[in-house]
Parts: sequence; C-alpha cells; structure tokens
Amino acid sequence: MNRADLISLLPEMILTAGGVLVLLLDAIAPRLRRSFTGLALLTTVAAGWGAWEAWAQLGSALTWNGVLETSRITLAFSLVVLVATALSLLASQGYLRRERILSGEYHALLLWCATGLLLMLRGTELLTVFVALELLSLCLYCLAAFHRQVSLSGEAAIKYFLMGAFVSAFVLYGISLVYGTTGSTRFAEIGQKLGAAGEVPVFAALGLLMLIAGFGFKMSVVPFHAWSPDTYQGAPSPFVAFLSVAPKVASALVLYRLLDAVIQGGGQTAGRWDDLVGILAVSSMLVGNLLALVQRDIKRMLAYSGIAHMGYLLLALVVLDRGSLGPVIVYLLAYVLMNAGAFAVVAMLYTREGEQHLISDLSGWGYRYPLLAACLTVCMLSLGGIPPTMGFLGKYVVFMNAVSDGLVGLAVVGVLASLVGVFYYLRVVYVLYMRPESRQPEGLLIDGWGRTAAVLAALGTLILGIWPTGLLQWLWEATGGR
Amino acid sequence: MENVLALLFGNSLTRLVFFPTVACLPLLFLRGTRAVRIYALVVSLIELAFCLQYVATHWGPDGFPLVRDAGPDGGPISWIPSFGIRYDLAMDGISMPLVVLGVALLPIVLLGSWRGIERHWPAFAASLLLLTTGVLGALVAHDLFLFYVFWEVMLVPMYLLIGIWGGERRIYAAVKFFLFTIAGSLLMLVAILWMAWTYQRLNGGVWSFALADLMRLELPLSQQIWLFAAFALTFAVKVPMFPFHTWLPDAHVEAPTGGSVILAGILLKLGTYCFLRFDLPLFPRATEAAQPLLIALALTGILYGALVAWVQTDMKKLVAYSSIAHLGFVMLGLLALDLVAWQGALLQMVNHGLSTGALFLLVGMIYDRRHTKKFEEFGGLAKVMPLFAFFLVFSALASVGLPSLNGFVGEFMILAGSYRALGWPAVVASFGVVLAAVYLLKMIQLTIWGPLTKEENKGLHDLDAREIWTLVPLCVLMLWIGVAPQTFLAPSERALRRVLAEYRQGVERPEVAQATLRPPADTAMASAAATNSGTETGR
Repeated sequence: MNRADLISLLPEMILTAGGVLVLLLDAIAPRLRRSFTGLALLTTVAAGWGAWEAWAQLGSALTWNGVLETSRITLAFSLVVLVATALSLLASQGYLRRERILSGEYHALLLWCATGLLLMLRGTELLTVFVALELLSLCLYCLAAFHRQVSLSGEAAIKYFLMGAFVSAFVLYGISLVYGTTGSTRFAEIGQKLGAAGEVPVFAALGLLMLIAGFGFKMSVVPFHAWSPDTYQGAPSPFVAFLSVAPKVASALVLYRLLDAVIQGGGQTAGRWDDLVGILAVSSMLVGNLLALVQRDIKRMLAYSGIAHMGYLLLALVVLDRGSLGPVIVYLLAYVLMNAGAFAVVAMLYTREGEQHLISDLSGWGYRYPLLAACLTVCMLSLGGIPPTMGFLGKYVVFMNAVSDGLVGLAVVGVLASLVGVFYYLRVVYVLYMRPESRQPEGLLIDGWGRTAAVLAALGTLILGIWPTGLLQWLWEATGGR
Repeated sequence: MENVLALLFGNSLTRLVFFPTVACLPLLFLRGTRAVRIYALVVSLIELAFCLQYVATHWGPDGFPLVRDAGPDGGPISWIPSFGIRYDLAMDGISMPLVVLGVALLPIVLLGSWRGIERHWPAFAASLLLLTTGVLGALVAHDLFLFYVFWEVMLVPMYLLIGIWGGERRIYAAVKFFLFTIAGSLLMLVAILWMAWTYQRLNGGVWSFALADLMRLELPLSQQIWLFAAFALTFAVKVPMFPFHTWLPDAHVEAPTGGSVILAGILLKLGTYCFLRFDLPLFPRATEAAQPLLIALALTGILYGALVAWVQTDMKKLVAYSSIAHLGFVMLGLLALDLVAWQGALLQMVNHGLSTGALFLLVGMIYDRRHTKKFEEFGGLAKVMPLFAFFLVFSALASVGLPSLNGFVGEFMILAGSYRALGWPAVVASFGVVLAAVYLLKMIQLTIWGPLTKEENKGLHDLDAREIWTLVPLCVLMLWIGVAPQTFLAPSERALRRVLAEYRQGVERPEVAQATLRPPADTAMASAAATNSGTETGR
C-alpha cells in the first residue's frame, strides 16, 4: 500500500467514515437527528471533492495492484452517482420526519450504498466488482425495508432480496465460469485471452451471459425487470429516487466493461453479442413503455418508464466502441436528474405510504403547489425527451450514436417507443393542470430540503439541456469519442 | 454564452426570439389578473416594436436580405461544438413576413382573450410568450438541430393552451394535437441525424447541422425519398394536409379564442413555411417524384375542407375546416414550383393568418356573449350588432377572395402560377374558391342576416372599444394588402428566386449513385449569404 493507493480510495473512505459518524452520533446524541441530512450531504459533497482530488493528483491510474481504476471516465460516473445520492438525501429529510422514521441508519446505509457503487464502477476486476455489488445490495435491501410499519415496504424488500440473492449467485457462478476458461478475473486479461483464442469458448460465453443477466437485473432491463415495479411501489419514495437511478449508473459501466472484453474476443461471434444487446434494448423499450402506459400508480409508472429508459441506454452499447461511453454517461446524468427529481416530488406530495400513489391524486395540484408541480412537469417533459431539456439531449446523443453505427432501424424503433412514452408522461402534466382538485392535502410535509432537491433537479435538467457545451466537451475528451 | 447575451441586448434576432421568454420571469411574481394582462400586453407591444425596428433596420431597396446573428468575429456562433451544432439565427425575405405576422398577432390575441380567459392568467400569458419564442425560433433557425429544438418547444405551451383553457373535450383535443405533431417530428429527428452523420462521413469527420452545409449533400433518389418523407410527414401534419388533418378541427374547436388565433394565424404556417425552407430545396429530386401525389393531396384538401365546412352547423368548426381548404391552396402554390405561385403562397400564408385570425376572434366574441357557436342559435344579428356584422362580412369576404381585399391577390397568384406550371390542377382548385364563397356566405346568412328570431339575441350589446381595436389592425392590413400587394410581395421575391434556383439546380444535376458532397462554392445559398451579410457560411 502506497500513497497513490490511499489517495485513490479517498472518496470511498470519506463516504464510509461519514456513514460511521452518522451511526455513532445516532447512538450518542439522538437529539441531533435532524442535522443528519446535512451531515450526510456534506459527506457526499466531500466525497465528490475526494473523487476530483484523486483524479487531479493521479490522473489516469490503476491502484491497489491494478484493481481500482481512476480516470476521467470513472470520475464522471462517480460524480453522477454522488449527484443521485445528494438528491435522494435532500428528498429524505421531510419524508423521514413525516413518517416518523428519521434515524441515523438511513443516512449511513445510503452513504454506504454510494461507497459500494463507487467501488463497483471503479473495479477493473470481477471479484472486486462482486464484493462492491454485495455491499451495495445489502444496503439496498435494508433501505427498501426501511419503513418497518408498512407491510408493503417489507414486501418490496423481500421481493428485491430474494431475486437479488438469486442474481448474486448467478453473478458469482458466472465469474467462476469465466475464470475457469480464461484464468483471470480482470476485464483486460479476459479480453486478451478471448482475443488470443479468437472466439468466446462456450463456458466463458455462458459465464458472461450470467454476468450480463446479473447486471441487467440491477439495471432492470427486460427480461430481468420484474422486481422493479413492486419494489419501487413499496419502498420509501426518497430512497427510490436513489434506487431507480444510482445502481443503474454503476451497472451500466460494468456492463460496458464486460461487453468490451467480449468484443475483443469477438471473431465471427462478435455480431451475436451485438444482437443480444440489441434485443435487450428493443424489448426493454417496448415492454417498459407499453406497460407504463396502463399504470395508474405514479411510482409503478416511473418504474416501467425506467425500464424503457434503460432500453434507450442500451442502444448506445449495441455497437460497442469507446465512443459509446459518452452517450451513456450523458444519458445517465439526464436520467438521474429527471428521475430523482420526479421521485423527490412524489415523496413530498403523497402520504399514506404503502397504499397506492395514484396519478389522479395529483389532480389540480398544479395550482396548489406551483413550484413542485412545475418541477415535476419539467422532469416529465425531460423523461419524455422534449427539448430543451437534458432528457432530449440524452436521447439525441444515444440515437445519434445508433445512427452513426448504421443502426437506423433501431433508432426508428427507439423514436417510436419514445412517442408512446410522451403519452403517459403528458398524462401527469394533464392531471396536474387540467383537472379539478380531487384530494385535500393531509399530513404533507413540504420542507426546504425537498424543495431544493426538486428545484435542483429541474433546473439542472433545463440548464444542461440548453447549455451542455462545457459538459459535453469535458466528457467527449474523457471518452475519446467524437 | 457571452456572445448570445451580447446579442440579447442589441437589435438582433436573438432579442426578438428570446425577449418573450425573458419577459416570462416577472410573471412568477405578478399578482392579480389585471396586472398580468396589462403586463403581457405591454410586453407584446415592446416585442412588436423590437420586431419593426429589426425589420426596418435591414429592409433594403431590393427586398429583404438574408441577415443573421453573427458572433463577434463575424462568423456563426457555436452552440455544441462537439457535434458541430451552431446557434444560427437568420432571417430572409421568406421568413420576415411570417415573423412580423407572428409578433403582430400576439397583442391582438391578448386583447382578444381579455375577457374570454377567466382563470390562471399568469400561466396563460407565459404559455403565449413561450409559444412565441418557439414559433419565432423555428422561423429563423438555419441550423437543423436548433430548428428541431424550437419546433418541439412550441408543442408544450400549445398543449397547455388547449388543455387548460379549452372547451368541453379539451383534453382529447390537446393530447391529439400533441401526439400527432410529435409523431411526425420524431421521425424528422432521425432524418436530421442521418443527414448530419452522412455529411460528417463525407466531410472528414467534421459535423454540421447547418442548412447551408446540408444543402451541399448530393443524395441518390432512393435515400432522398425516405428523408423527404420523414420531413414531409412532420410538416404535413402541421399544415395540415389531408389525410393528416384530423387533429385540426378538434384542436380549433376546443382551443380558447386566443389559442385558435395563434394556431391558425401562425402555427399552421410553420408547416408550409418549412416545406418551402427545408423539404423542397434539400430534396429536390424526391420533391419532383412526390409532386403528383402531394398535389393530389393538396387538391383533396381544398375540396374536402370546403365541402366539410359547408355542412357544419358550428361557426368555429366551419372556420376550422376552411383553414384546411386555404392551406391546401398554399400547398398547391408551393408544389407548383413556380415563382408567381410561390409568391402567392407566401402572401396567402399571411392572408390566411389575418382573415382566419379575425374570423376566430369574431366567433370568440359572439361566444363570449352567448356561450354557443351554433348557427341555429343566431340569425339577424346585424340588427342588434351592426359593427359585429360589418367585421364579420369584411373578414369573410377577405377570406373568400373578394378583389381589392387580400385573399384575392394570394389566391389569384397561386392559381395563375400553378396553371402556368401544372395546368389542370389549377382548374380543379378554382372550384375551391367557389365553394369558399358558398360556405362563408352561408355562415354570414345564417348568423347576421334574416329575421331576429331568438329572444336571447335581442339584448346582445355590440362590440366594445377593446374588441374593435382588436379587429381594426387586422382589417387595415387586409385592405392594404389587397390594394397595394406589391409592397408585400417585393421583399420576398429575391429570397424566393434563390430557393427556386437552388431547387432547379438540384433537379438538373446528374443523378448520383451514392451520397456525395458538393464543394461549398457550388451552392448559390452560400455565395448569396456571403454577399448579403458579409459572413462566411460555407467551410
């Protein structure tokens, strides 16, 4: 262990320490509970600084015997994860107070989730990724069950946990198969071995398929999506703001690394992997959008829309080159902002956790809560891909990438699928502004933190949609894309 | 960013386009319907002043030149350099009349909605202002990506206008409007992406979405057809051309008066304008191939719209269907690919905005009084509302095409030009003129002439000062265009000639087997732009 190793681990260490600190304070000074959100937020910001500092000092480097990658790409992905964490934390305070479950564990678990995610996206080796994945998953299960008194929260957690445990076994078995055929767990070496062999051996292919299934599960890609609507519906809303975005960010990068390794082994079978990703993308877009169309519960609707969004994201990975990462990260940032923003508003405007969150319950509230409704509207339009929002920019870069790779057909499918999307996103806008009020606000707690989350998300969506120049330049330099 | 901000404070297109958006911010803090109304009216008048100042500054002796918003170095401003996307706003003789029309309609719409809109005035004013930004942006964007952004920006405010302040079936109409429009435009997005990518491939990896650059693409017919279709579908929905017109009657009937005026006055024109600006010159060969089909659709639209208008029992529906017929005329003029027909088509776009806008306002005024638009509820209104009757007859006659009013000039030029270029389709279309007289005179007869039978109508009060001042500017313009059309035709002639020359060159060039890129000097557009504005457009 040398200095570089320590510096490279700076963000993870800050996050872990912050989590521990919150947990300790909860035990010794429970009266400080209200300030935990601020403390956790501070930790997140510090972790962002740490990630930046590590990259600034080390540049592109591999530390811990080549296991941990520090580069502009991992920095970008880390920052996106931390943005999601911050938004979720901001949305949490009011919710936890309202539901009387404010405690240190929640914040600590969320910070450790972020730790797991950062490790996962920076790991260049399968076992590290797996350990990080487990750290992440365990915290996620606990958080899904965090609203103990509500049975639906428990149901959400148990569904997620059972499927997740199953998938962990899949991933582990996949790793062992890949290790068995290639003799390594490092992405780069796996790629080299497969490249030297000129093809992907059957068992390695089987292992890789299992791994794709595992990370597809975390990204809730069809056909590994079944858990997400139930879990989203039952789990605490501000946590869903995190769950619905952050794990997908890290998983997307791991998926990219896996596919990158496979493509190197390519040979004549490379096309089949492209087809596989293409099928996953198309089925996610279609299934997600069509099922979202019939949802009456806003959280379930957002869950299905999330499935569809991962379909668009996979479009960028169908023909894999280094240029694919740029669109992926832009899309993920857009998705984080708009989806977390939407869930932040949902967390504030719905009580009676565990019951249904009917879209029609928002009827006419556009005039009662103009600011929150405006934020939700911006997020919905962004999710629907209407310019000048970040969501449009994300779709644009992804479709652009697909067209550049000659996949005009896939781009057209994506465009038509997003047309379906517009319909159900617009329904939220319609309900907000064009229907008479149907519900009296009861027991709502709309606090400054939550408002900040919604406004930050909506403003970010708009500003980055209108003026993405600097962001894109920075990312495109990082990924070496166009 | 700094460049754009600098432009925002100067006499520029940027100010023209974004002033309405910036002016939305105080609406967040304004309280009270009256204050909001007056504020919005003042903003719209300032915007009109900006517009007139800009046009007056650049109006030249031989028409309106191509002027663009340039950066400090005189070149185009970069927006997203990674993709070669530019912030390229430019106005020429083709877009100028429509921009002026769009801006001029804004105060009229606000005055016309003064009493009809009862709820949520801040949101109403903000929607109108944002809509104006979208419309003006789409009219002056010369970068296809930028154009697409503006094109989509228009959708949301219009959706809100119909959906919040509309009539009974407003939700259905609003959603239908939104989905129809976006369905077309999403395919156009793929087409734009494909063209930019092809350009990049042929240009050594340098991206561009600039219209002047993409014009240099020489594509084989097989590719042109698809791209043309994607663009044409978008614009045909907007125009709307038969058979994509079904959203229009719903949207018009359900929209509040102000929404209908904006919709008919300027939004529909964007469809025809974009045919002229993008679809025809970018894909000349495909235009040539699709011309018979599109002419058939335009003729169908003229006759179908007129016949359906004839059998309506609702004033607003009648005017809505008449729009389909009138826009069919405009499309016929564009598809004739003839200078006189194009001049007529451009003039007719403005005419339709004025006369149909006035008709919608009048329908709105009577609706405010009686809360019905059915013919059977009226009759003999001339006795109690002589001023209303005067304006209705005036606008209807302008719409019919009475000589010395504006509609006559536009329709006559379209018919003359398309007869010269096409022959018999012009003859078929001329039946549309006859039918227009039939249905509009029917409306006049049933509403204002005849005996005053209904008891409720006897106490109706005539137009008040506000309503008169809403209509007077429109009527003055109708008369002015009708009496001295040359004033309005002259500024656009050069720009139209240029586009027509580009189209003709595109058709005459030998067919290519694969996509190729012409060198910059080849395009008339680039050289014309360079001489006009002193800026370099080609690379």
